[in-house]
Amino acid sequence: MRTWGKVRSLLAAGIVSLGLIAPAIAHHSFVMFDRTKPLVLEGTVLQFQWTNPHVWIEMTAPDGRGGHAKWGVECTSVNMLRRQGWHHGSLHPGDRVKLLLYPLRNGALGGQLAKLLEINGSPANLVSYR
Amino acid sequence: MVQSTQGLQGSTRGLRSSRTGKGRRPWALLLGLVILATQVRLVDAQGSASLNALYADPHQPDIAGLWLATGYFTLSPDRALPSLKPPFDALYARRVKAENAGKPIDDVTANCLPPGMPHIMVVPYPFEIVQTPGRILFLFEYAGQVRRVYLDGRRPTEDDDPTYYGFSTGHWEGSTLVIQTSDIRAETQDDFTGLPHSDALVITERIRRVDHDTLEDQLTLTDPKAYAQPFTVTRRYQLHPTWTIGEYVCEENNRNAIGANGVTGFGVPPPPAKK
Repeated sequence: MRTWGKVRSLLAAGIVSLGLIAPAIAHHSFVMFDRTKPLVLEGTVLQFQWTNPHVWIEMTAPDGRGGHAKWGVECTSVNMLRRQGWHHGSLHPGDRVKLLLYPLRNGALGGQLAKLLEINGSPANLVSYR
Repeated sequence: MVQSTQGLQGSTRGLRSSRTGKGRRPWALLLGLVILATQVRLVDAQGSASLNALYADPHQPDIAGLWLATGYFTLSPDRALPSLKPPFDALYARRVKAENAGKPIDDVTANCLPPGMPHIMVVPYPFEIVQTPGRILFLFEYAGQVRRVYLDGRRPTEDDDPTYYGFSTGHWEGSTLVIQTSDIRAETQDDFTGLPHSDALVITERIRRVDHDTLEDQLTLTDPKAYAQPFTVTRRYQLHPTWTIGEYVCEENNRNAIGANGVTGFGVPPPPAKK
């Protein structure tokens, strides 16, 4: 268990440093997102909007009460995503995704995508905002 | 890049000497080819030939290329602030308070209006510098914006209208490009936090290539109406020779437009009502 504890604290340090290092921001003020509380979200893609000024992932995720809720996930621009290995076909409706998100501070179900971690169970490692 | 321009000139000389020696002095052709190969390798080893190589004024230092800001994207990377005079101090305090509550106000870029100067110099998207005789162009990926810096002696006139990017004139002091920008619209902001300035703002920039891959811009903001003293920040930019500027049309799918409450939007349904 000590090993797992170490791994967990390393993971936590990694997540915290994601919030502190070189945050690429949006075309608008990003203070609406809480970069100190990154969360891992798992759900299903409804729509992948490959657009400017932001790429958007519309998705549903379990709401914790047995149902599902709709989330809006804002990524960086098309051009910046392309430079980080994404393309217009990176996601499709129906894909199961696991992602790291900086949530909205106002409590609405949305946030800024830090990184796509998994697509349909396979590791993805596609970065949006550092 | 000065070195590559010299490299190309050297290569041309190599070709010329080989032409004149054709037939009579085959060793000259061989020598020319060896010189050419060496020069080409030199250009490759330095990562990229300048985009400007064919057009650059040999008397003008080469700062052409595709650059991306490094460091934090507030005006000052360490978040230092100018000493704000009333009423600009109260205006900024109001904006910071709203941001800390997660509800940014007065965020004009959220409606796809241009960031203007000096904000555009600290956005997290690349820009390309193009040097042509008499002017230097900054072509920004962000919303396809352009800054024109005139080096041909023209000056702003008394009745110029203020604009988002102002009127920029430049000259070289050794290897440093000095740009002065005036006539900037009062409502543009210095960065995404809403740091304000007045219509009296004049920006002096000193831009130089610190090394092949690094550009530095020292910006001094002089604004006697809004700032107690001139405020200087130093920004750095990384060269990205393999990148291409992409299209970026902000109006395509903007879901962040400012709402009736003055707060930057986020296009998702409201949170479910608590039971």
